[in-house]
Amino acid sequence: MSILFYDKLIVLKGVDKKIEKLAQANDERQELWQMVEEIVHHKVLGCCLTHLPQKHHHEFLEMFHDAPHDKKILKYLNEKTKKNIKKIIRDEIKNLTKDLLFLDSHKV
Amino acid sequence: MSTTAQNTSFRDLLKLKSIETQKSFRTNFPDAHQFLLGKGLELKSLRQYSAKLISAGALTGTLLLSPPSGATLVPTPLDIVQNVDNSSGDMVPQEEFINTLKKLLPSEVRPLARDEEKRLEIVIRDILNVNSKATLEGEHLNTTYGFIGAEQHLKRYPGDILENHGPYYKEGIAPGLGAWGYFAKSKLQLNPALVETEKWYSVVQTLYLPDWNSRQPYLRDWYKHRKLLIINTVNGNAVITAIADSGPAAWTGKQFGGSPEVMEYLGGSRYKKGAVLVFFVDDPENKIKLGPVDYNDLSGKDLLKI
Repeated sequence: MSILFYDKLIVLKGVDKKIEKLAQANDERQELWQMVEEIVHHKVLGCCLTHLPQKHHHEFLEMFHDAPHDKKILKYLNEKTKKNIKKIIRDEIKNLTKDLLFLDSHKV
Repeated sequence: MSTTAQNTSFRDLLKLKSIETQKSFRTNFPDAHQFLLGKGLELKSLRQYSAKLISAGALTGTLLLSPPSGATLVPTPLDIVQNVDNSSGDMVPQEEFINTLKKLLPSEVRPLARDEEKRLEIVIRDILNVNSKATLEGEHLNTTYGFIGAEQHLKRYPGDILENHGPYYKEGIAPGLGAWGYFAKSKLQLNPALVETEKWYSVVQTLYLPDWNSRQPYLRDWYKHRKLLIINTVNGNAVITAIADSGPAAWTGKQFGGSPEVMEYLGGSRYKKGAVLVFFVDDPENKIKLGPVDYNDLSGKDLLKI
Protein backbone atom coordinates (compact mmCIF):
# COMPACT_ATOMS: atom_id res chain seq x y z
CA MET A 1 0.00 0.00 0.00
CA SER A 2 1.24 3.45 -0.90
CA ILE A 3 -0.01 6.87 0.09
CA LEU A 4 -1.76 7.08 -3.29
CA PHE A 5 -2.91 4.13 -5.36
CA TYR A 6 -0.70 5.15 -8.27
CA ASP A 7 2.43 6.10 -6.30
CA LYS A 8 4.47 3.18 -7.54
CA LEU A 9 3.80 4.14 -11.14
CA ILE A 10 5.07 7.67 -10.71
CA VAL A 11 8.79 8.08 -11.15
CA LEU A 12 9.91 11.25 -12.87
CA LYS A 13 13.52 10.40 -13.51
CA GLY A 14 15.83 13.37 -13.53
CA VAL A 15 13.25 15.97 -12.55
CA ASP A 16 14.36 16.02 -8.91
CA LYS A 17 17.98 16.51 -9.96
CA LYS A 18 16.96 19.37 -12.22
CA ILE A 19 15.02 21.04 -9.41
CA GLU A 20 17.84 20.48 -6.95
CA LYS A 21 20.25 22.24 -9.30
CA LEU A 22 17.96 25.19 -9.87
CA ALA A 23 16.44 25.74 -6.44
CA GLN A 24 19.00 26.24 -3.74
CA ALA A 25 16.67 27.16 -0.91
CA ASN A 26 14.59 24.41 0.62
CA ASP A 27 11.38 26.45 0.42
CA GLU A 28 11.88 27.05 -3.31
CA ARG A 29 12.63 23.37 -3.87
CA GLN A 30 9.49 22.32 -2.05
CA GLU A 31 7.39 24.84 -3.95
CA LEU A 32 8.59 23.33 -7.25
CA TRP A 33 8.02 19.78 -5.95
CA GLN A 34 4.51 20.79 -4.98
CA MET A 35 3.80 22.16 -8.45
CA VAL A 36 5.04 18.95 -10.06
CA GLU A 37 2.86 16.95 -7.65
CA GLU A 38 -0.19 18.97 -8.59
CA ILE A 39 0.44 18.40 -12.29
CA VAL A 40 0.93 14.66 -11.67
CA HIS A 41 -2.38 14.34 -9.77
CA HIS A 42 -4.33 16.14 -12.49
CA LYS A 43 -2.64 14.15 -15.25
CA VAL A 44 -3.23 10.78 -13.58
CA LEU A 45 -6.84 11.48 -12.68
CA GLY A 46 -7.45 12.86 -16.17
CA CYS A 47 -5.85 9.77 -17.65
CA CYS A 48 -8.10 7.47 -15.58
CA LEU A 49 -11.24 9.42 -16.46
CA THR A 50 -10.36 9.54 -20.17
CA HIS A 51 -10.18 5.77 -20.40
CA LEU A 52 -13.03 5.02 -18.01
CA PRO A 53 -16.54 5.00 -19.52
CA GLN A 54 -18.54 8.01 -18.32
CA LYS A 55 -21.10 5.82 -16.49
CA HIS A 56 -18.39 4.70 -14.03
CA HIS A 57 -16.94 8.15 -13.31
CA HIS A 58 -18.98 8.81 -10.19
CA GLU A 59 -18.27 5.40 -8.67
CA PHE A 60 -14.55 5.82 -9.37
CA LEU A 61 -14.47 9.28 -7.83
CA GLU A 62 -16.27 8.01 -4.72
CA MET A 63 -13.72 5.21 -4.37
CA PHE A 64 -10.89 7.64 -4.88
CA HIS A 65 -12.27 10.08 -2.33
CA ASP A 66 -12.85 7.37 0.28
CA ALA A 67 -9.45 5.72 -0.01
CA PRO A 68 -6.99 7.31 -2.43
CA HIS A 69 -4.33 4.82 -1.27
CA ASP A 70 -6.36 1.72 -2.10
CA LYS A 71 -4.76 -0.34 -4.85
CA LYS A 72 -8.13 -1.95 -5.53
CA ILE A 73 -8.78 1.20 -7.55
CA LEU A 74 -6.22 0.02 -10.11
CA LYS A 75 -7.97 -3.32 -10.34
CA TYR A 76 -11.30 -1.55 -10.70
CA LEU A 77 -9.94 0.64 -13.48
CA ASN A 78 -8.47 -2.32 -15.31
CA GLU A 79 -11.81 -4.11 -15.18
CA LYS A 80 -13.96 -1.17 -16.23
CA THR A 81 -11.66 0.20 -18.91
CA LYS A 82 -10.66 -3.26 -20.16
CA LYS A 83 -7.21 -1.75 -20.60
CA ASN A 84 -3.86 -1.98 -18.87
CA ILE A 85 -4.26 1.17 -16.82
CA LYS A 86 -0.85 0.80 -15.17
CA LYS A 87 0.82 1.01 -18.56
CA ILE A 88 -1.36 3.93 -19.58
CA ILE A 89 -0.41 5.87 -16.43
CA ARG A 90 3.27 4.99 -16.81
CA ASP A 91 3.24 6.22 -20.43
CA GLU A 92 1.51 9.44 -19.40
CA ILE A 93 4.17 10.03 -16.73
CA LYS A 94 6.96 9.24 -19.19
CA ASN A 95 5.64 11.98 -21.47
CA LEU A 96 5.26 14.35 -18.56
CA THR A 97 8.85 13.67 -17.49
CA LYS A 98 10.10 14.61 -20.95
CA ASP A 99 7.94 17.78 -20.91
CA LEU A 100 9.30 18.83 -17.54
CA LEU A 101 12.91 18.12 -18.39
CA PHE A 102 12.69 20.21 -21.55
CA LEU A 103 10.34 22.82 -20.12
CA ASP A 104 12.89 25.63 -20.20
CA SER A 105 14.88 24.51 -23.23
CA HIS A 106 12.98 26.44 -25.90
CA LYS A 107 14.00 29.91 -24.91
CA VAL A 108 15.39 32.27 -27.54
CA MET B 1 22.37 32.66 -17.04
CA SER B 2 22.63 32.55 -13.24
CA THR B 3 21.05 29.70 -11.29
CA THR B 4 18.56 32.14 -9.75
CA ALA B 5 17.48 33.43 -13.17
CA GLN B 6 17.23 29.88 -14.52
CA ASN B 7 15.16 28.91 -11.51
CA THR B 8 12.81 31.86 -11.97
CA SER B 9 12.34 30.93 -15.59
CA PHE B 10 11.75 27.25 -14.82
CA ARG B 11 9.47 28.15 -11.93
CA ASP B 12 7.34 30.42 -14.13
CA LEU B 13 7.10 27.81 -16.85
CA LEU B 14 6.23 25.14 -14.33
CA LYS B 15 3.57 27.34 -12.79
CA LEU B 16 2.16 27.95 -16.25
CA LYS B 17 2.13 24.23 -16.99
CA SER B 18 0.42 23.58 -13.67
CA ILE B 19 -2.29 26.14 -14.43
CA GLU B 20 -2.78 24.75 -17.94
CA THR B 21 -3.05 21.18 -16.62
CA GLN B 22 -5.64 22.22 -14.04
CA LYS B 23 -7.60 24.18 -16.64
CA SER B 24 -7.55 21.26 -19.03
CA PHE B 25 -8.81 18.95 -16.26
CA ARG B 26 -11.65 21.34 -15.40
CA THR B 27 -12.63 21.69 -19.06
CA ASN B 28 -12.47 18.00 -19.92
CA PHE B 29 -13.98 16.67 -16.68
CA PRO B 30 -16.28 19.35 -15.25
CA ASP B 31 -18.30 16.79 -13.26
CA ALA B 32 -15.19 15.33 -11.66
CA HIS B 33 -13.96 18.82 -10.85
CA GLN B 34 -17.31 19.68 -9.25
CA PHE B 35 -17.31 16.39 -7.33
CA LEU B 36 -13.88 17.04 -5.83
CA LEU B 37 -14.80 20.64 -5.11
CA GLY B 38 -17.98 19.50 -3.36
CA LYS B 39 -15.98 17.13 -1.18
CA GLY B 40 -13.51 19.89 -0.34
CA LEU B 41 -10.67 17.84 -1.78
CA GLU B 42 -7.96 19.91 -3.42
CA LEU B 43 -5.60 17.87 -5.55
CA LYS B 44 -2.64 19.96 -4.41
CA SER B 45 -3.21 18.59 -0.88
CA LEU B 46 -4.08 15.08 -2.04
CA ARG B 47 -1.05 13.40 -0.47
CA GLN B 48 -1.66 15.03 2.91
CA TYR B 49 -5.35 14.13 2.70
CA SER B 50 -4.57 10.48 1.97
CA ALA B 51 -1.91 10.31 4.70
CA LYS B 52 -4.50 11.60 7.17
CA LEU B 53 -6.98 8.89 6.15
CA ILE B 54 -4.32 6.18 6.41
CA SER B 55 -3.19 7.43 9.78
CA ALA B 56 -6.75 7.50 11.13
CA GLY B 57 -7.38 4.02 9.69
CA ALA B 58 -4.22 2.63 11.24
CA LEU B 59 -5.19 3.96 14.65
CA THR B 60 -8.69 2.60 14.59
CA GLY B 61 -7.64 -0.65 12.96
CA THR B 62 -9.87 -0.19 9.97
CA LEU B 63 -7.11 0.30 7.45
CA LEU B 64 -7.84 -1.45 4.21
CA LEU B 65 -4.54 -3.26 4.15
CA SER B 66 -4.10 -6.26 1.98
CA PRO B 67 -3.06 -8.80 4.59
CA PRO B 68 0.60 -9.72 4.21
CA SER B 69 1.17 -13.23 2.96
CA GLY B 70 0.98 -15.60 5.92
CA ALA B 71 -0.67 -12.92 8.02
CA THR B 72 -2.38 -15.48 10.18
CA LEU B 73 1.03 -16.75 11.18
CA VAL B 74 2.21 -13.38 12.43
CA PRO B 75 3.36 -13.96 16.01
CA THR B 76 1.94 -12.10 18.96
CA PRO B 77 4.20 -9.71 20.90
CA LEU B 78 4.49 -12.37 23.65
CA ASP B 79 5.61 -15.00 21.12
CA ILE B 80 8.22 -12.62 19.80
CA VAL B 81 9.66 -11.94 23.26
CA GLN B 82 9.77 -15.66 24.04
CA ASN B 83 11.37 -16.47 20.69
CA VAL B 84 14.04 -13.84 21.21
CA ASP B 85 14.71 -15.09 24.77
CA ASN B 86 14.87 -18.74 23.68
CA SER B 87 16.84 -18.16 20.53
CA SER B 88 19.72 -20.41 19.74
CA GLY B 89 22.89 -19.38 21.50
CA ASP B 90 24.83 -20.13 18.34
CA MET B 91 23.00 -17.59 16.27
CA VAL B 92 24.60 -14.19 15.70
CA PRO B 93 22.12 -11.48 16.83
CA GLN B 94 22.16 -9.96 13.37
CA GLU B 95 21.12 -13.27 11.82
CA GLU B 96 18.39 -13.65 14.41
CA PHE B 97 17.26 -10.10 13.72
CA ILE B 98 17.12 -10.61 9.93
CA ASN B 99 15.15 -13.85 10.38
CA THR B 100 12.68 -12.15 12.71
CA LEU B 101 12.22 -9.24 10.32
CA LYS B 102 11.47 -11.69 7.51
CA LYS B 103 8.66 -13.14 9.60
CA LEU B 104 7.21 -9.80 10.63
CA LEU B 105 7.48 -7.65 7.53
CA PRO B 106 5.02 -7.81 4.64
CA SER B 107 6.37 -8.92 1.27
CA GLU B 108 5.56 -5.51 -0.17
CA VAL B 109 7.21 -2.34 1.13
CA ARG B 110 4.33 -0.24 2.46
CA PRO B 111 3.17 1.79 5.47
CA LEU B 112 2.73 -0.55 8.43
CA ALA B 113 -0.30 -0.88 10.66
CA ARG B 114 0.15 0.08 14.29
CA ASP B 115 0.16 -3.52 15.55
CA GLU B 116 2.89 -4.42 13.06
CA GLU B 117 4.93 -1.48 14.31
CA LYS B 118 4.39 -2.51 17.94
CA ARG B 119 5.79 -5.98 17.24
CA LEU B 120 8.82 -4.46 15.56
CA GLU B 121 9.42 -2.08 18.49
CA ILE B 122 9.68 -5.11 20.78
CA VAL B 123 12.09 -6.94 18.49
CA ILE B 124 14.25 -3.84 18.08
CA ARG B 125 14.35 -3.27 21.83
CA ASP B 126 15.27 -6.88 22.57
CA ILE B 127 17.85 -7.47 19.86
CA LEU B 128 19.25 -4.04 19.04
CA ASN B 129 18.82 -2.72 22.57
CA VAL B 130 17.42 0.55 21.25
CA ASN B 131 14.23 2.04 22.60
CA SER B 132 12.47 3.11 19.43
CA LYS B 133 8.93 4.17 18.67
CA ALA B 134 6.89 4.45 15.50
CA THR B 135 4.83 7.08 17.30
CA LEU B 136 6.70 9.37 19.64
CA GLU B 137 4.98 12.14 21.60
CA GLY B 138 2.02 11.72 19.27
CA GLU B 139 4.07 12.22 16.11
CA HIS B 140 4.20 9.60 13.37
CA LEU B 141 5.78 9.60 9.93
CA ASN B 142 3.60 8.87 6.91
CA THR B 143 5.39 5.55 6.65
CA THR B 144 7.84 3.62 8.80
CA TYR B 145 8.69 1.10 6.09
CA GLY B 146 9.87 2.57 2.81
CA PHE B 147 12.79 3.16 0.50
CA ILE B 148 15.83 5.21 1.36
CA GLY B 149 17.97 6.97 -1.23
CA ALA B 150 21.47 8.41 -1.20
CA GLU B 151 21.79 12.10 -0.37
CA GLN B 152 24.71 14.49 -0.69
CA HIS B 153 26.64 16.09 2.14
CA LEU B 154 25.09 19.24 3.56
CA LYS B 155 26.88 22.55 4.06
CA ARG B 156 27.33 22.94 7.80
CA TYR B 157 28.27 26.63 7.86
CA PRO B 158 28.71 29.41 5.29
CA GLY B 159 31.73 28.59 3.14
CA ASP B 160 31.75 24.87 3.92
CA ILE B 161 33.12 22.77 1.04
CA LEU B 162 33.10 19.11 0.03
CA GLU B 163 36.77 18.67 0.90
CA ASN B 164 35.84 19.10 4.58
CA HIS B 165 33.56 16.05 4.45
CA GLY B 166 35.99 13.18 3.99
CA PRO B 167 36.32 10.33 3.46
CA TYR B 168 33.13 10.08 1.37
CA TYR B 169 33.42 12.55 -1.50
CA LYS B 170 31.65 10.66 -4.27
CA GLU B 171 28.12 11.92 -3.54
CA GLY B 172 29.23 15.54 -3.52
CA ILE B 173 27.78 18.39 -1.49
CA ALA B 174 24.25 19.74 -1.99
CA PRO B 175 24.22 23.15 -3.69
CA GLY B 176 21.43 24.30 -1.38
CA LEU B 177 20.91 24.03 2.34
CA GLY B 178 19.01 21.47 4.35
CA ALA B 179 15.48 22.31 5.49
CA TRP B 180 16.83 23.72 8.75
CA GLY B 181 19.57 25.79 7.12
CA TYR B 182 23.18 25.74 8.23
CA PHE B 183 24.10 23.62 11.23
CA ALA B 184 26.21 26.48 12.63
CA LYS B 185 26.46 30.19 11.88
CA SER B 186 30.21 29.96 11.27
CA LYS B 187 33.05 27.45 11.20
CA LEU B 188 34.03 28.59 14.68
CA GLN B 189 30.61 27.71 16.04
CA LEU B 190 30.63 24.22 14.55
CA ASN B 191 31.01 21.88 17.51
CA PRO B 192 31.70 18.11 17.47
CA ALA B 193 28.02 17.32 18.09
CA LEU B 194 26.99 19.26 14.99
CA VAL B 195 29.74 17.57 12.96
CA GLU B 196 28.22 14.23 13.98
CA THR B 197 24.71 15.47 13.19
CA GLU B 198 25.64 16.25 9.58
CA LYS B 199 27.67 13.09 9.25
CA TRP B 200 24.75 10.90 10.32
CA TYR B 201 21.89 12.95 8.94
CA SER B 202 18.70 11.61 7.45
CA VAL B 203 15.88 13.03 5.37
CA VAL B 204 12.15 12.47 5.91
CA GLN B 205 9.10 13.73 4.06
CA THR B 206 7.91 16.23 6.63
CA LEU B 207 6.37 18.27 3.82
CA TYR B 208 3.79 15.54 3.21
CA LEU B 209 2.73 15.17 6.84
CA PRO B 210 -1.02 15.79 7.02
CA ASP B 211 -0.69 18.54 9.62
CA TRP B 212 2.69 19.97 8.63
CA ASN B 213 1.32 23.36 7.59
CA SER B 214 -1.28 23.71 10.30
CA ARG B 215 1.03 22.89 13.24
CA GLN B 216 3.88 25.26 12.66
CA PRO B 217 6.29 26.18 14.16
CA TYR B 218 5.87 23.29 16.62
CA LEU B 219 6.46 20.52 14.08
CA ARG B 220 9.42 22.26 12.51
CA ASP B 221 11.14 22.43 15.88
CA TRP B 222 10.07 18.92 16.87
CA TYR B 223 11.55 17.31 13.77
CA LYS B 224 14.77 19.33 13.73
CA HIS B 225 17.66 16.90 14.38
CA ARG B 226 15.18 14.37 15.78
CA LYS B 227 16.93 11.03 16.23
CA LEU B 228 15.83 8.19 13.98
CA LEU B 229 16.76 4.56 13.94
CA ILE B 230 17.16 3.35 10.36
CA ILE B 231 17.39 -0.37 9.66
CA ASN B 232 18.32 -2.00 6.38
CA THR B 233 15.73 -4.79 6.38
CA VAL B 234 17.83 -6.97 4.07
CA ASN B 235 21.06 -7.17 6.06
CA GLY B 236 19.94 -5.91 9.48
CA ASN B 237 22.46 -3.06 9.58
CA ALA B 238 21.13 -0.30 11.81
CA VAL B 239 22.17 3.28 12.34
CA ILE B 240 21.04 6.16 14.54
CA THR B 241 20.61 9.33 12.52
CA ALA B 242 19.40 12.90 12.96
CA ILE B 243 16.82 14.51 10.70
CA ALA B 244 18.40 17.45 8.87
CA ASP B 245 16.45 17.83 5.66
CA SER B 246 12.98 17.43 4.22
CA GLY B 247 12.30 15.18 1.22
CA PRO B 248 12.65 13.39 -1.07
CA ALA B 249 9.93 14.40 -3.52
CA ALA B 250 7.12 11.84 -3.62
CA TRP B 251 7.67 11.07 -7.29
CA THR B 252 11.21 9.79 -6.78
CA GLY B 253 9.93 6.42 -5.53
CA LYS B 254 11.75 6.98 -2.22
CA GLN B 255 10.47 8.09 1.16
CA PHE B 256 13.72 8.69 3.06
CA GLY B 257 17.24 9.89 2.45
CA GLY B 258 20.55 9.19 4.11
CA SER B 259 23.89 11.00 4.22
CA PRO B 260 26.85 9.35 2.45
CA GLU B 261 27.97 7.94 5.81
CA VAL B 262 24.51 6.58 6.63
CA MET B 263 24.22 4.89 3.25
CA GLU B 264 27.74 3.48 3.41
CA TYR B 265 26.99 1.89 6.77
CA LEU B 266 23.59 0.58 5.76
CA GLY B 267 24.65 -1.09 2.55
CA GLY B 268 28.17 -0.31 1.41
CA SER B 269 29.61 1.98 -1.22
CA ARG B 270 27.27 0.88 -4.01
CA TYR B 271 24.10 1.17 -1.95
CA LYS B 272 21.92 3.87 -3.52
CA LYS B 273 18.41 2.75 -2.67
CA GLY B 274 16.94 0.10 -0.43
CA ALA B 275 14.09 -0.88 1.86
CA VAL B 276 14.40 0.36 5.42
CA LEU B 277 12.50 0.60 8.66
CA VAL B 278 12.50 4.06 10.22
CA PHE B 279 11.52 4.59 13.85
CA PHE B 280 11.99 7.51 16.23
CA VAL B 281 14.57 6.95 18.95
CA ASP B 282 13.09 7.49 22.39
CA ASP B 283 15.98 9.32 23.98
CA PRO B 284 14.64 12.07 26.24
CA GLU B 285 18.00 12.56 27.98
CA ASN B 286 19.92 12.67 24.71
CA LYS B 287 22.22 9.85 25.76
CA ILE B 288 22.21 7.77 22.59
CA LYS B 289 25.03 8.54 20.18
CA LEU B 290 24.49 9.00 16.48
CA GLY B 291 26.06 6.42 14.21
CA PRO B 292 26.08 2.64 13.73
CA VAL B 293 24.22 0.41 16.18
CA ASP B 294 26.61 -2.32 17.14
CA TYR B 295 24.43 -5.11 18.46
CA ASN B 296 26.46 -8.17 17.60
CA ASP B 297 28.18 -9.91 20.45
CA LEU B 298 30.65 -11.68 18.24
CA SER B 299 32.83 -13.32 20.84
CA GLY B 300 33.53 -16.77 19.44
CA LYS B 301 31.17 -16.33 16.49
CA ASP B 302 31.70 -15.68 12.82
CA LEU B 303 30.67 -12.36 11.34
CA LEU B 304 27.71 -12.52 9.05
CA LYS B 305 28.69 -12.19 5.44
CA ILE B 306 26.37 -9.55 4.14
